[in-house]
Amino acid sequence: MSTVLQVSDLRKAYSGVHALDGVSFTVDAGSITGLIGPNGSGKSTTIDCISGFQKLDSGKVVLAGNDITGRISHLIARAGMMRTFQTVRVYEKLSLRDNLAIAAQQFDAATWMDEFFRTKRYRVAVEASEKRARQLVDLIGLQKYYDIETGILSYGQKKLVALAAALMPHPKIVVLDEPVAGVNPTRIREIEVALQQLNQAGETFLIVEHNVEFITTLCHKVIVLDQGLKLAEGTAAEIHADSRVLEAYLGTTPEIAEEEMRASA
Amino acid sequence: MKRALPLALLCALALGALPLVTSSNYFVGIGVSALIFTVAAAALNLVYGFTGLLSFAQLGFWGIGGYTTALTVVTFGGNFWMGLVYAAVLNGVVALVVGFPILRTNRHAFVISTLTFALLVALVARDWVELTRGPLGIPNLPPPRAFGVVFDSTHKFYWIAWAFSVAMIAFLYALCSSRIGRTLVAIKQNEPLVRAQGISPMPYKLAAFAIGAAITGAAGGVFTFYLRIIDTSFLDFYYMQTFLIIVIIGGAGSFWGVIASGIALSALPEALRFSADFRMIIYGVILVAAMYLMPSGVAGWLRERQIARVRKALQ
Repeated sequence: MSTVLQVSDLRKAYSGVHALDGVSFTVDAGSITGLIGPNGSGKSTTIDCISGFQKLDSGKVVLAGNDITGRISHLIARAGMMRTFQTVRVYEKLSLRDNLAIAAQQFDAATWMDEFFRTKRYRVAVEASEKRARQLVDLIGLQKYYDIETGILSYGQKKLVALAAALMPHPKIVVLDEPVAGVNPTRIREIEVALQQLNQAGETFLIVEHNVEFITTLCHKVIVLDQGLKLAEGTAAEIHADSRVLEAYLGTTPEIAEEEMRASA
Repeated sequence: MKRALPLALLCALALGALPLVTSSNYFVGIGVSALIFTVAAAALNLVYGFTGLLSFAQLGFWGIGGYTTALTVVTFGGNFWMGLVYAAVLNGVVALVVGFPILRTNRHAFVISTLTFALLVALVARDWVELTRGPLGIPNLPPPRAFGVVFDSTHKFYWIAWAFSVAMIAFLYALCSSRIGRTLVAIKQNEPLVRAQGISPMPYKLAAFAIGAAITGAAGGVFTFYLRIIDTSFLDFYYMQTFLIIVIIGGAGSFWGVIASGIALSALPEALRFSADFRMIIYGVILVAAMYLMPSGVAGWLRERQIARVRKALQ
């Protein structure tokens, strides 16, 4: 498998406090990679830095062969990395249709001139975007809300909309920031199934999440951060067996942690 | 937005016929103000309602437009039409220069900066006496001419105001109902999300600010030649207040809501003339009541009702 995202020696300090102290990892094309760690371990800082929403102090981020280190957020998105946010972000006063159309519009060749004259290029672009939107809406099961503004949807449904929007322009990688935090269990299952289907269709995901069960069922590879450092990396089973991870994540001895983890699962 | 188009065209034609149905200078005069104020309010709606930038600089642009058009004719030997073009271009350039730094500041700082800009323009108009003649103003502006017609009466001038506002509103409609308009709304609602989707918000904001400025400036130019005089009172806060009230009552962000409220509210203070002493108080009461009952404007109120219906239907 080829590497789509390569992060090396990422460092970031907030007024002296090292949020990231040399984090390196890779994401393979077509995989689901999980990023977990206790609060303050640097998960959010990591994805904010690689997606350009925070300036990194040093390190290198390579997306599909392009060095995107230090680029501004919208240019990183154009390079093929789409992200969602921890507190869900959708255009609440626009319809689901418009939410999805906007997510794709920067990526087609149609300019405002094309739109004004309704050229073929514009029609082709709109048609393609509409087709993709329909597919994604079918997948997330929100067909009947297609023409309704997304503000009326529930929190979990908005998370699905954010996911669909991130997928609209066929990105090289989708970075999900806590996709199931604050979402009820039935909806979590739906999101899980949707992500699996999308992954089978070839989409690549990097997921930051607190929900260990969610991560271990979905991810091919799990990276564990603690205090700005990569603590461990491996398959879900390997991570489960790693006593350092359990200690850092739960702050207890392996035996008790095992038990707690089993109980939470 | 698109459903209202046939109705809007019908209204435009009906308004165009106003000078034919009444010989009263008074009514036609109200019509001229209503049309021009509506255009200025629609421009503010582009900046504030669509893009979310509360700009008091519109008053400054209105003044710069008025003075530019007047000075083009009186001092620089051009005609009214050239004056309008200069007003639009100058305002566009000023807006780009001013907007470039201040659009980078936060929302509150932006509002204060635009307010300061408007006050600064008023100060220049008062104190640069060699150019603007200060408080004396520039009276007796010649009526515009075109194709051998002299637009020297209110009835004739109405056609200019009508053609101007139809053209400007059509342009703004095309802009607001396009992808660009949709992107502006997206920027207003969630700027980080816009950036995460590969769209740089700055060019859009700057373009909206500059286009709003150019149109406001041209509107100021037309209004100056309707008054046939310009002085420092042209930069009175009364105008800004009028534009803002039209936008807020109509529903910021609703294209046709603001157009309809522009026409209605410009006529309202006049319609209340039956009680000359109390009319501005009644006007104020109506405004407060409207805001109390419909905090997001008439269009916002209608929209909320529609959403409530949809929500009910889905349950």
